[in-house]
Amino acid sequence: SGELYCSLPKPRNVHFESINMKNILHWSAPEGTGDGVLYKVKYSVYGVGKWIRKPECRNINRTWCDLSSETSDYEEQYYASVKAFLNGMCSDWMETTRFNPLTDTKIDPPMVSVSSTEKSISIILTAPEKWKRSSEGESVSLLQVYPGLQYNVSVLNKKTKKRWFFSISNNTLVVPWLEPGTAYCVSAQIHVTTPLLHSGFSKEYCIATLKDKTA
Amino acid sequence: TAGNKIFHFGSCRISMSVTEIRSGFTAIKANIQARDPVRTLSILSYPHSLHKVKSSDRCCITHHLFNFYVDKVFKHCKTEDSYVNRKISSIANSFLSVKRKLGQCHEQKKCMCGQESTEKFNQILANYEGLNVTSAAIKSLGELDILLDWVE
Repeated sequence: SGELYCSLPKPRNVHFESINMKNILHWSAPEGTGDGVLYKVKYSVYGVGKWIRKPECRNINRTWCDLSSETSDYEEQYYASVKAFLNGMCSDWMETTRFNPLTDTKIDPPMVSVSSTEKSISIILTAPEKWKRSSEGESVSLLQVYPGLQYNVSVLNKKTKKRWFFSISNNTLVVPWLEPGTAYCVSAQIHVTTPLLHSGFSKEYCIATLKDKTA
Repeated sequence: TAGNKIFHFGSCRISMSVTEIRSGFTAIKANIQARDPVRTLSILSYPHSLHKVKSSDRCCITHHLFNFYVDKVFKHCKTEDSYVNRKISSIANSFLSVKRKLGQCHEQKKCMCGQESTEKFNQILANYEGLNVTSAAIKSLGELDILLDWVE
């Protein structure tokens, strides 16, 4: 490819950062280099013979490259590699470890919506969607990707500071026998048993039960 | 044991400690895969992914694969790292128990092999025999998540 003798140090820490299967390749500049370094990126499907260049990440000076589209089939595994150029010099390619989108992605917390009656609160949880090419593209919930997906739900009585935890498989929960006119705060987390994955807890969503009309 | 899950392969039902196997593999995945420099060949996925196997053939392929890992893979995966070796033997023990259960299903005629599963398994064996034993065993071990992702 007409490249010069490659004496530049390699890019460092080349790795995928993945959230909801939005798979971004990240790396650090070669040791001892300041500004002006350019990069190019290639990727390959594990078990398939060829490396594929990513044109949108050719001669770039940023240290990341979005490979979500190229790695969207989560039944496959991938490698990616980065090469650096500076002042006519180049580096060797620096590769990631094998990337498995199914097990190596992080999952966002679920969306939480709450409503209340006098003595109960109802909670509806929505799992995040898998990354998709465009907003018009077909939405795939992570629930479809991980059939064993469950929700851990925390409910806090703001007055007594008492907290309950629930683990549910479906996405709705009604918490009965609560105190009227009292504020409760709900937070939820996604938990997948195999492969073992879990999101952080969502922020708290607080709501008050209705006042007791008979009181 | 922790994380036992019941798997249904047609009329063959077996419990498998998937979480235990997964966590064992996750602990050594980077180490084992780093020992496999061949990016261009997959033992389990070449030329076709396991996901292409018909559901009627799933039991037979799973039975073949657990036998394959017990008989041809784990024993050739000795490393210089005692931690890795311990994890490998723990995974091997889990596989051994699943292999026995699948064997019982096979004996009870609940795990029949069709032509497709036989062809697919022969392809896997051909991929394995295309490399020297140690490289083939390490590559196969490094593909354990491919097997687990498919089984689940």
